[in-house]
Amino acid sequence: MLFGVTLATFLIFNVVGGDPALQLAGKNASAEQIESLRLELGLNQSLPVQYLEFIKQVAFLDWGESWHTQQNINAMIVSGIGPSLSLTLPAFLISFFLSLLVALISTSIQSSHAAWDRGITIFCLALMSISFLVYIISFQYFLGFQWGWFPINGWDTSWTERWAFLVLPWIISSIVSLGPNVLIFRSVLTDELSNDYVRTAEAKGLNRFQLYTKHILKNAVIPIMTVVTMQIPFLVTGSLLLEAFFGIPGVGGLLIQSIQNSDFPVIKALTVLGSLLYLFFNLMADVLYTFFDPRVELK
Amino acid sequence: MKTVIFQAISLMFILLACTPKASKKTNTITAYLEANVPHLDPIHSTSKYSSVINANIFEGLYHYHYLKRPITVQPKLADGLPQILNNGKTYIVKIKRNVHFHDDPAFPNNRGRELTAYDFIYSWKRLADPKLKALGWWVLDGLIEGLNDWRDKVRSGQANYETPVAGLTALDKYTLQIKLSRQSFQFLHYLSMPPTMVVAKEVVQKYGKEIINHPIGTGPYVLKKWQRNSEIILSKNPKYHKVLYPTIGEDQDKSKGLLKYAGQRLPLMNEVRVRIITEKQPLWLAFLKGDLDFGTIPKDNFEQVFQNNQLTKEFADKGLRIHSQKSPDVTIIAFNMEHPILGKNKSLRKALAAAIDKKTILEKFYNSRGIVAEGPIPPTIYGYDPEYKNPIQHDKTLAKQYLADAGYEGGKDLPVFNYEMANNSTWARQYGEVLKDQWAQLGVKIKLNVNTWPQFDKKIKTKKATIFDMAWMADYPDSQNFLQLFYSKNISPGPNNFNYINRKYDQIYEQAVVLPPGAERQALFKKLIDIINEDVPGVFIIHRLYRYPFHSWLENYKPYPIIYDYYQYLSVDEDKKAAHR
Repeated sequence: MLFGVTLATFLIFNVVGGDPALQLAGKNASAEQIESLRLELGLNQSLPVQYLEFIKQVAFLDWGESWHTQQNINAMIVSGIGPSLSLTLPAFLISFFLSLLVALISTSIQSSHAAWDRGITIFCLALMSISFLVYIISFQYFLGFQWGWFPINGWDTSWTERWAFLVLPWIISSIVSLGPNVLIFRSVLTDELSNDYVRTAEAKGLNRFQLYTKHILKNAVIPIMTVVTMQIPFLVTGSLLLEAFFGIPGVGGLLIQSIQNSDFPVIKALTVLGSLLYLFFNLMADVLYTFFDPRVELK
Repeated sequence: MKTVIFQAISLMFILLACTPKASKKTNTITAYLEANVPHLDPIHSTSKYSSVINANIFEGLYHYHYLKRPITVQPKLADGLPQILNNGKTYIVKIKRNVHFHDDPAFPNNRGRELTAYDFIYSWKRLADPKLKALGWWVLDGLIEGLNDWRDKVRSGQANYETPVAGLTALDKYTLQIKLSRQSFQFLHYLSMPPTMVVAKEVVQKYGKEIINHPIGTGPYVLKKWQRNSEIILSKNPKYHKVLYPTIGEDQDKSKGLLKYAGQRLPLMNEVRVRIITEKQPLWLAFLKGDLDFGTIPKDNFEQVFQNNQLTKEFADKGLRIHSQKSPDVTIIAFNMEHPILGKNKSLRKALAAAIDKKTILEKFYNSRGIVAEGPIPPTIYGYDPEYKNPIQHDKTLAKQYLADAGYEGGKDLPVFNYEMANNSTWARQYGEVLKDQWAQLGVKIKLNVNTWPQFDKKIKTKKATIFDMAWMADYPDSQNFLQLFYSKNISPGPNNFNYINRKYDQIYEQAVVLPPGAERQALFKKLIDIINEDVPGVFIIHRLYRYPFHSWLENYKPYPIIYDYYQYLSVDEDKKAAHR
């Protein structure tokens, strides 16, 4: 998979993308200056040679320097991970536990209060049907500007100060992911409810709390975990829109800038990093399956 | 569960209560940039964003007068204007004494040493150093005697920083002699631009590649904090040499309060906090809330702020002020002169030009902020003639006649031309649609192609674009900066995106650029504009008018697109600002 990602990234950049030398040289550069820059960036080498160089960088995870900022790329990514995680991790945790809670409530009242359950489903669908951008613009306008509850935009390097700038993005991110998460979790829990073991447990006289905590949640954990682990790589790669609108200097913003500036070394590094994280958490999910369900074996 | 919900709500209120509040008196300017600053090294300073920060930390020999318009060059680190000898090819520049670099561990005892003429020679060699891939090298490329040779020799390992350059000599510690390889009356402009600003050898040697994070200059501010992609804080240079607020400006400057601080030492404020806000909405809201002292009006909010070309009462009552500035730029619908049909048929290009309704474009796409362009030279630039009229005005009948003359009456037998758009924004697409409609009335069909900026740039620079929209903003306030766009030696990938080649034009251009400003040069420039307007390698559409909003507490705000070192002139009425908050 990693090979496919490197090849696709390389081809897209070289075939569809712009010419980095033109971008870097600026509007007044002469043909000689652009050619000289191309030479210095190694863009005059044949594509196979450039691709091999890319593979070498992947092997050693050493991406060199950004063409645009001339910073060490690993340092750029490390400095962006903290802000990205400050934004995405709490939002992810809030959203996860809130979604699970709502899904549990919704599932548990399916038979007794069907109208409420339907209401929750419709509400989740409504949340999902609104664009992410609309949430950002309206929340920023009303909660940040009109009512002045939160700072509109900004960042602070100190951990004690930065949270003030993060509360509003956390709220938005949590609301946006609440809809799909609740519907998925509710669906998984509903499937479990229809199993024979649930009826058996109820017949044995288990109360609702014991039924959900000891049986249903335990069995539902694998599909839920599959959904959750697939979201984890994106915590590191950040949220492009939230970072841009709230001025959070994270990895998402880094990716946007690198694409805008044809900064190929940074694009390569972030693409491969995303793929590696994806592979790693996929593997982690497989390993965790065996932990939660002894019937599953790794082969 | 009730407990959990209660705790969550309580936490939220605690967080809200703890939202940091700005202190009332800060002696700080709160500014913004709409893009990230990639590095702080003057040799790479080609974007307006890095130029603004660099020009407030570093200084060059000259800079632009803050208040005078058209803008004029005045000494900064130079002690007076240069002595120009040898028919404009030799410049003798005296350097100001007692100017010191910012204090830094790179210097003995951490104390910035005095600036000398040698620092300029070192800095310009750095600009030419091929290993540094300086983005601002174009400024001195081919201009200083021996500097290009030095660059070539450094590339091949035959020279280093100790190797002299024939055109750069320090006659003494405070006198710099510059010999040019050709006459250039734009040279003082080049010496006012960020890439030629001075750095200290000790700082470069101490920080090596990390120099991009350690900007040490002689300017009014020193870098206090740089959180990349978020915030830059500049603090007053306590040892800044004596630079005074201007005592003269334009006629109305006094009544506008722009001379209140005349003769006072700069910088006026202790700190500048520059926030990087890349999205329009948060930028606008932060400005309205008073988090920024000045801002920008998003296109979608323009009608809300301005009606009948006046600030609405709502915003005037909020204490908003506007500085209107004619921008030194021109927007152009460009034709690729290497296109086998479009490039060979002048009447066809004239037909396309006459079919464009520039007034409609100005109203629809620029909220009438600007003036219709009659040629390439914008207002506020030396050489602009407000009386000049383009011989081809919008006229549908004439356009049809031109098309018939071109041999394509009613558009018969004409292929569909590709029109390249630089992005996929609604604005760009609507702009393309209006052009498509205006040319369709003539019988000429175009296909709108959406590109990302890098793709767009690549198509133009590789001569693959047929028709495209472009704009040119002055790098320096001289007509030559616009007329070079049609000089044949500058064809793509150089700045002549039209790939326009006209020997007569080249001849006159070469004659004109070596002349000092004056009637003779102006007459030649007029001839060049006539040739361009006759040949129509592009259609000049609009010279934009910028409206810069600012709060009433901000004093001395008179922005101009290529004056970058303006933070030092700004001041804040702290009481007014506190009252707003």
